Amino acid sequence: MRISIERSGGFAGLTMRTTVDEKEVAADEALKLRQLVEEANFFNLPGKIVSRSPQPDRFQYELRLEEKGRQYAVMVSEEVMPEKLKPLVKWLMEKARQTRKGTESR
Amino acid sequence: MRPIRYAGIHSIIPPYMLEEIAKRGKPHQQDWALRSLTSAGFIRGQRYALGILPSAAPVGHKSRTVYDCKRKDGQPPTGTLARKEGDPRSKDVAVNEAYDGAGATYELYDDIYGRNSIDNRGMAIVSYVHYDVDYDNAFWDGSEMVYGDGDGEIFARFTKCIDVIGHELTHGVTQYEANLAYSDQPGALNESMSDVFGSLVKQRTLKQTAAKADWLIGAGLLMPKIHGKALRSMKAPGTAYDDPVLGKDPQPATMKDYVQTTSDNGGVHINSGIPNHAFYLAAIKIGGNAWTKAGKIWYIALQDRLRSKSNFAGAASATISVAKDLYGNGSKEMKAVQNAWKGVGVI
Repeated sequence: MRISIERSGGFAGLTMRTTVDEKEVAADEALKLRQLVEEANFFNLPGKIVSRSPQPDRFQYELRLEEKGRQYAVMVSEEVMPEKLKPLVKWLMEKARQTRKGTESR
Repeated sequence: MRPIRYAGIHSIIPPYMLEEIAKRGKPHQQDWALRSLTSAGFIRGQRYALGILPSAAPVGHKSRTVYDCKRKDGQPPTGTLARKEGDPRSKDVAVNEAYDGAGATYELYDDIYGRNSIDNRGMAIVSYVHYDVDYDNAFWDGSEMVYGDGDGEIFARFTKCIDVIGHELTHGVTQYEANLAYSDQPGALNESMSDVFGSLVKQRTLKQTAAKADWLIGAGLLMPKIHGKALRSMKAPGTAYDDPVLGKDPQPATMKDYVQTTSDNGGVHINSGIPNHAFYLAAIKIGGNAWTKAGKIWYIALQDRLRSKSNFAGAASATISVAKDLYGNGSKEMKAVQNAWKGVGVI
């Protein structure tokens, strides 16, 4: 399983992104990632979870998951993020913060 | 727009309520709310605005309150009252910055443009500080301003810059006026209006002419070890920062570098560089204090001429026609505005 996250928008308009491949992380991390993806019911989320009246300067996230040839992407605005998806996004953003090399201007 | 049938009543459920249900309802309610938010669609504007009025009732004069979220998140934000209008200064610097910045923004709109608060009906100005933990952002949630403390590594606290406060409050003004849709060109114009009036709040507070001003947005918001002087530059878009961690400021100054993207609601914080630079060019050419003439032209365009789907070309013709009405056909001001939009390649 390989999952990537991109956070754009916010007042600053800075984009942060990172990719986590379960083969490249420690076993407990890989297990945690699987749990979070399952909890989020990721493959059954709508592809686009955005408000028709977006709040200015909120973050926008795009998540892409690849597994056994299956691919799924979800675009979600911060202010309408489903509760069950939050722990996965929080975990991935922590990874983005730690690695930092995933950080680019866009 | 399609009315939503729920609980046997034909009713328009305001989006903020749907958002609440989508977040806190029972699973079947969450699914319904999510579907409604993402498919049925909402028209922003009066209906949404009316929906949020009870939380910020009109008072008819400057009325600021600041709440402390104590590092909790939540939607809507919650907190304890930290300072209300007329209270002495707090010991908390973020509380005072939010209070003073809201005051300076209220005064620019009131003194210069004759506008009575965010809604022009004396709406109370409500701010929330210390939102969430290490939160690298500030936003306008449709009825109040919310500020994070920053992570202390990349960002300092978001109340630190008075232009950030003016920026967020202006999102409220835009919501009540042109109500520019928050994506693509209308969204970039929405962002630009916030940068323009945010910068004017700062320039007026510092008593700086257009020539003296730094035209930076968020100067001092990046921590000292980051290679960057600010987040955006209206004078030279694309030059505000260049850092190994953050990358380079992606803003274009002209249409030839317009960025097509699905991120950031279609690059609203990126392509805002183009109308930002147009405002800068107009203000510099007109000279003097930017809030007096250039600011007034942009304000009247925002209030009377722009619509929710207005694009850059629409903003160009709106501001040119306002300049013509205010200062005369062929006036120096009108020419300055025309040349500014030509300078960024919009016309």
